[in-house]
Amino acid sequence: MTSNPGAQWTVGKVVQAVLKHAFLILMALISIYPVLWVVSTAFTPGETLATGWHFVLGLVPVPNAPTLDHFTSVFNLQVTGGTFADWLRNSLVITVSTVIASVALTLPAGYAFSRRVFPGRGGLMFSFLLPTMFPGVVTIIPQFLIFATLGLVNTYWGCIIPYTVGSFALSIFIMKGAFDSVPRDLDEAAMIDGASEFRAFWQILVPLTLPSVATVSLWAFMGSWLDFALAHVMLQTNNMWTLPLALYSLITPTYTYYGTFSAMSLIMAVPVFVVFMIFQRYLVTGLTAGSVKG
Amino acid sequence: MASVLERLKASKTSYLYILPALIGLLFLVLYPFAYNIYISFTNMNIGHIRNFYLIGLTNYAYIFSDPNFPVIVENTVIWTFSNVIPTVALGLLLALILNSKVKGKNIYRLFLIVPWAMPSFITLLIWKGMYDLQYGVFNRFLGQFGIAPINWLGDCHWAFFAIVVANIWLGYPFMMIIFSGALQSIPTELYEAASIDGAVGFRRMRHITVPLIRPTIILGLLLGSIWTFNNFNSAYLITAGGPGVCTTIFITQAYNLAFGGFLNFSVAAAYAFIAFIFLFFPGLLWTRYMGVTREGT
Repeated sequence: MTSNPGAQWTVGKVVQAVLKHAFLILMALISIYPVLWVVSTAFTPGETLATGWHFVLGLVPVPNAPTLDHFTSVFNLQVTGGTFADWLRNSLVITVSTVIASVALTLPAGYAFSRRVFPGRGGLMFSFLLPTMFPGVVTIIPQFLIFATLGLVNTYWGCIIPYTVGSFALSIFIMKGAFDSVPRDLDEAAMIDGASEFRAFWQILVPLTLPSVATVSLWAFMGSWLDFALAHVMLQTNNMWTLPLALYSLITPTYTYYGTFSAMSLIMAVPVFVVFMIFQRYLVTGLTAGSVKG
Repeated sequence: MASVLERLKASKTSYLYILPALIGLLFLVLYPFAYNIYISFTNMNIGHIRNFYLIGLTNYAYIFSDPNFPVIVENTVIWTFSNVIPTVALGLLLALILNSKVKGKNIYRLFLIVPWAMPSFITLLIWKGMYDLQYGVFNRFLGQFGIAPINWLGDCHWAFFAIVVANIWLGYPFMMIIFSGALQSIPTELYEAASIDGAVGFRRMRHITVPLIRPTIILGLLLGSIWTFNNFNSAYLITAGGPGVCTTIFITQAYNLAFGGFLNFSVAAAYAFIAFIFLFFPGLLWTRYMGVTREGT
């Protein structure tokens, strides 16, 4: 047997590995700890944080008598004329429409900024970035006034359109960066061979930038599925609420239904988490495509 | 040389690609932006919701003479830096460790991404519960060592500390993700060549890793600063700006003025515009950085 000194475990390497794992375990625990509270509260009977559980290691709350009651009460939740089924449907319609609209509008814009030269290009790109520098909460007032004039308050449009526009600032530049990273020769060659510009875009550029398309979709999904501030202003009757509004209604000035709140939080968070896990690999490439080019 | 008109005509298709997005931007961002600047020079408030008129710089004079203004400026600056620097540092450290030879990377990554994947307005309310004076887990934990409960959200300095900690918790997964992406894009041949030349450990880090991911670090710092400066949820849901103005930053001040019962839209608008001027410089850097304001091919 020959011995390979490089592959041997030296004291230094062991110490290094132990330190790395210790740090990673600590950070992983810190990352999930607040979420453990949501899970415990969701399965603990009663609506307060005061009783119903014991602490493992003095820190981790574990329900004494786990129950699914809070989940049943979420599905049976009603607030004068609005039901859980209504809110789920509203959230789904608004979110799916926002994702589709966002992808359909940011792809052509990102393409034009990446591949075409035209007067005012720089100024236009700058104006798409402007919203990032402006506190969004304040634009809600004029936005509301516009939609009130158009008679679109308390409709799906009142949310879909602002959410879609809100996704532009980042999404258009993610797509521009992604298209920039594809060599021009590829789509130019296709067009010389007689493909239309649209075909070159659709059959060459889009398939090569799918990670970024996924990132853009995820961005639009998060912005609409979780938004509270705008929905709170736009959707006024209880049957038009989205899930975040229903969730917020469980926190009243006088009483907070922590149990039901936590159960509903979990129901809302699970799809986000699943989508994240599926797209995790794409996210890394999608978000950095534009920034690390040489 | 083609006339301007001809050039515009030739670019018709380019404009068509952007048009739908542009219309949305015009009505929902640029118009509200201009409208906001306009009402910051009026007296639109609870007494003049419909019949407001121009009053010049009165709102700005009011803000600059407000004894709370310097406190809010200081809070906003401290808030931004005390969040961004640890967030970027932690994200970078985690990305570096996960990019080295470690067992169980994917499981760690799954856990570490949780703060980003959970809806922030839910987790922030959970943090609020954890800081609770009576039932909160932090005081429960301290109590085991016989330490008296800390009034986390009632004390000026602790309250600020509390929201910064919660926001760092929310922020590092994003930084970890963008740094992981940048690290993965470094060709392994570079490291191989370096190890032949005898560069390992710290030297390898200093001469290869850091220079190559510097653009991403700058991106993280700039984007992080802009987002933190404008982060309404983190600065509002736990403390609502209190106690007093201890944790009030520009954006929460603007929100409180407009929607906090006073309906003082004009002063809120002035605050928002001042915030915009603060952000304009880092924002401009960011746009330059993204290759936007340089007219390129």
